[in-house]
Amino acid sequence: MLGDLGSILTALAFVATVYGGGAAFVSIRRSDPRWWESARHALYGAAALLGLAIVVLVQAFLSNDFGIRYVVQHSSRVLPGYLKVSAVWAGQEGSLLLWSFLQALFAALAIGRPGERVRSLAPWAAVVLGVIGAFFIGVSLLLSNPFAMLPAIPADGQGMNPLLRHPGMIFHPPAMYVGYVGLAIPFAYAMASLIAGGNVRWTTGTRTWTLVAWLGLSLGLLLGMRWAYDVLGWGGYWGWDPVENAGLMPWFTATALLHGAVMQDERRGFRIWNYVLVSLSFVLVLFGTFATRSGVIQSVHAYAASDLGAYFLGAIVVTLAASAGLIAYRGIALRSETSTESLISRDGLFFLTVVLFLMLTVSVFVGSVLPTLSHMLTGQSFEAGPAWFDRVTGPQFGALVLLLGVCPLVGRAVAVVRRVRQWVWLAGIGAAIGAIAPALAGFTDPMSLIGFSLTGLAGATALIEFGEGAVRRARSTGEAPLNALWALLRNQRRKYGGYLVHLGVVLMAVGVLGTRLYPFERDVVLASGEPQQVGDYTLVMDMMSQERVDDHVSTSASINVYDGTEYLVTLVPKVDRYDNYDQPYSVPALRPALKEDLYLILSGWDGAGTSATVRVVVNALANFLWAGGLVFLAGGAMALWPRSAKVYWNVLAGVTAAGLLIGSGWSMWGAPHGAVSSGGQRPAVGQPAPDFQLALLDGSATSLASMRGEVVVLNIWAPWCPTCRNNLPVLEDIWIAYRNRGVAFVGAAYQTDRADMEESVDLHGLTYPVGLDAGDRIAEAYGITGVPETFVVDAEGRIAYVHIGPVAEAVLRAELDALLEGRQ
Amino acid sequence: MSKRNFIVAGMLVVVAVGYLIISSTGSTASFFLTIEEVLAMGAEAQERSLTVSGAVIGDSIAYDASQPQVTFTMVQIPGDPKAVEAAGGLATVLHAAVTDPNAARLDVVYNGVRPDLLQDEAQAIVRGRIEPDGRLHADELLLKCPSRYAEEIPEQIED
Repeated sequence: MLGDLGSILTALAFVATVYGGGAAFVSIRRSDPRWWESARHALYGAAALLGLAIVVLVQAFLSNDFGIRYVVQHSSRVLPGYLKVSAVWAGQEGSLLLWSFLQALFAALAIGRPGERVRSLAPWAAVVLGVIGAFFIGVSLLLSNPFAMLPAIPADGQGMNPLLRHPGMIFHPPAMYVGYVGLAIPFAYAMASLIAGGNVRWTTGTRTWTLVAWLGLSLGLLLGMRWAYDVLGWGGYWGWDPVENAGLMPWFTATALLHGAVMQDERRGFRIWNYVLVSLSFVLVLFGTFATRSGVIQSVHAYAASDLGAYFLGAIVVTLAASAGLIAYRGIALRSETSTESLISRDGLFFLTVVLFLMLTVSVFVGSVLPTLSHMLTGQSFEAGPAWFDRVTGPQFGALVLLLGVCPLVGRAVAVVRRVRQWVWLAGIGAAIGAIAPALAGFTDPMSLIGFSLTGLAGATALIEFGEGAVRRARSTGEAPLNALWALLRNQRRKYGGYLVHLGVVLMAVGVLGTRLYPFERDVVLASGEPQQVGDYTLVMDMMSQERVDDHVSTSASINVYDGTEYLVTLVPKVDRYDNYDQPYSVPALRPALKEDLYLILSGWDGAGTSATVRVVVNALANFLWAGGLVFLAGGAMALWPRSAKVYWNVLAGVTAAGLLIGSGWSMWGAPHGAVSSGGQRPAVGQPAPDFQLALLDGSATSLASMRGEVVVLNIWAPWCPTCRNNLPVLEDIWIAYRNRGVAFVGAAYQTDRADMEESVDLHGLTYPVGLDAGDRIAEAYGITGVPETFVVDAEGRIAYVHIGPVAEAVLRAELDALLEGRQ
Repeated sequence: MSKRNFIVAGMLVVVAVGYLIISSTGSTASFFLTIEEVLAMGAEAQERSLTVSGAVIGDSIAYDASQPQVTFTMVQIPGDPKAVEAAGGLATVLHAAVTDPNAARLDVVYNGVRPDLLQDEAQAIVRGRIEPDGRLHADELLLKCPSRYAEEIPEQIED
């Protein structure tokens, strides 16, 4: 039922889009505004129909309509509601429908309310958008219909892939689609401008759309990186996989387009460049969709080579031919206006920036198709791994960061020579700080220091832009410096948003340099209770545990991390095995810190659960990457902020932007970071032991303070815990042996009642003082993560030894002997 | 005049990046080969990094957890996706390869934890070098299972 409805809605949307494009064409031919109005209404209608189709698909998921094949493939009854909604874009068919809907929505908005500067181009843009829209809706309807029905209705769906159950993956695809479909708008207007004879104002008129698309791609890429980091469990965030590259290439060209558009808006040429860039961006969007489905890119990912590839290849060829033909046809008319300044100028550096972004695109493209390309050229297949990409793109990224630092300086060089000298000094200081600070923190690789000093330079010039602008405004208006800065940010959003983006790039570059140039990866086998030194960390595994959670079995290792003797954190990497899936899913555990992230992946264990194999990855400066990403997005949002709008629009935009930023921040940091348990308060060895009072079984009471001068063994246990009970005889034996040597024993029973405790004490004939830890006060003060745990406190009241899990007799004896020997 | 500067500078960047691409392809890109092609190269194969794909023989897998180190043998499968498709799909090809005693074989050593997906009739994609002992010492070991989900996952992830 819902399936039929969805198919009908999609079919109607197809008809409306085709009609809309056609009517727009007729309106141009006949110069008839009525046809134009009709075309616009048809495009609005198409957007509304596809919106309804999405609603129908969501409803099909929510109501478990397993008559629809797509629902069966990506959902099941137990799936939580929000995941059912996101299941709409969990597979190819639904993704294409969402794509079509966003395409139609953007087209309707861009056609319905075109900017003043591009109003005359709207009909031709509507024709182009009609063709694009019809292509996507047609593919969705005829080749990849999410509403396809099954002949028989299964009882339950196959469930959602566990890897996709992550906030990053819920928002990543829609963000990418916003980027992909958003690029179609400037493309359509650019084509319209070519057809209509070179209206140079299309870049200004569609700037908002270019920015929206670019921001969507940026957000999507960042979320994808964070998702890979949190979920995929290989310790990295970017593997130069063809799928990632497919999203990166249009981002490169869109970034180049944003820079080229600035030049064109300032009437400084770049007109042909911008036509090329916008066409390339759109072609690369199609290429990404094509390449990942056609088997042209040989990847370790198993692409289901679907028959969609041929249609997308056709679309690419048509787009390339049409745009190249139009540019060539109008080329002579466009050429007259080009830049005339020298290379070391604002124009020249913008030019180099655009060229570098283009070359990055070419590099990544060549790398992605290298197996196919080299096979065609030499008959042998070469494959480009991460090393290839790092080596090829690294210098280009470095050059871009250098440009980012130099460009603002050069831009002003002509203006005020005296000031420039100050700026050069400040930028030089920035470069020096950029190199010295990480060197002091222990990052001394010369290559990385060059990189860090570049980021220092670029960061300093970006900051100078803010500072200098604020100071100048403060001088001329007499405002307080902070007010002046605020006014500056408010009035020149695009410019200062851009600098904020640059600042974000600088921070991210620091993160990339750290993680790429200081790789650290070890596989270690941890035996329960045995400390092991890995890099700067000491890891002690408490124990392994296995438990059943909903639809999966989770195996985890609880690992205490120390820096020398200082306790840092307890990390719990897990491996989940889902009932419906053969494959195990590793959930890494992460301890983020400013200097480096410690990242643990549980990769194996022995049958008895006494030893675990753990991959230890240290990602230097990784947090700069994520923090830089947020600054980057904030800058993009600022540039997008509507200018001189009414107050309530500003408030609305502010709330939306803040919400989006918080949302992306949450997606990046708030997500389950692989089961980090804070467990933070367990006192470390050498720290003062928290005092406690304990009412004992015999009616008396004791406190830690009252036992000062003695070595105290505190055992936190519970009668309901078998390992605790089994450990009691050991403790009793040691107590008997050491009671007259200045050693006191205390047993604190955790989360139990008096009767159970007495029963255990009687059963094992305990003679040392035992009491009920009412209200878990002691357990909380000592930050235990489970029972049993045993703490040894020295005569001065400091923690001398901590043991998690049952303590072996020999171990405890050795600790006590060592302490007692030290006193004598 | 200045326009020529622009063109020269642009060409310089293009040439520099072109050099980077070609030199990196020479030094860090790896040959993508089938096992038969590797064996046909003989000692020449030791000269550079290779990426080889093959079917895993379950009985040959040996794991030493203390190192940790995995060794296993893999069998020739066609490198061309179209050939795989024509032979009845990946699962059929992998099964046929493992049961064919005459197919070309290659021993692999991987210093790392045994991946869960390393099992009989899995497809292994191994990146590394052939050492003088004739075995492929892998830096990277990637596995694909011909099961339904393993094939569908990437398709789901990609968007």
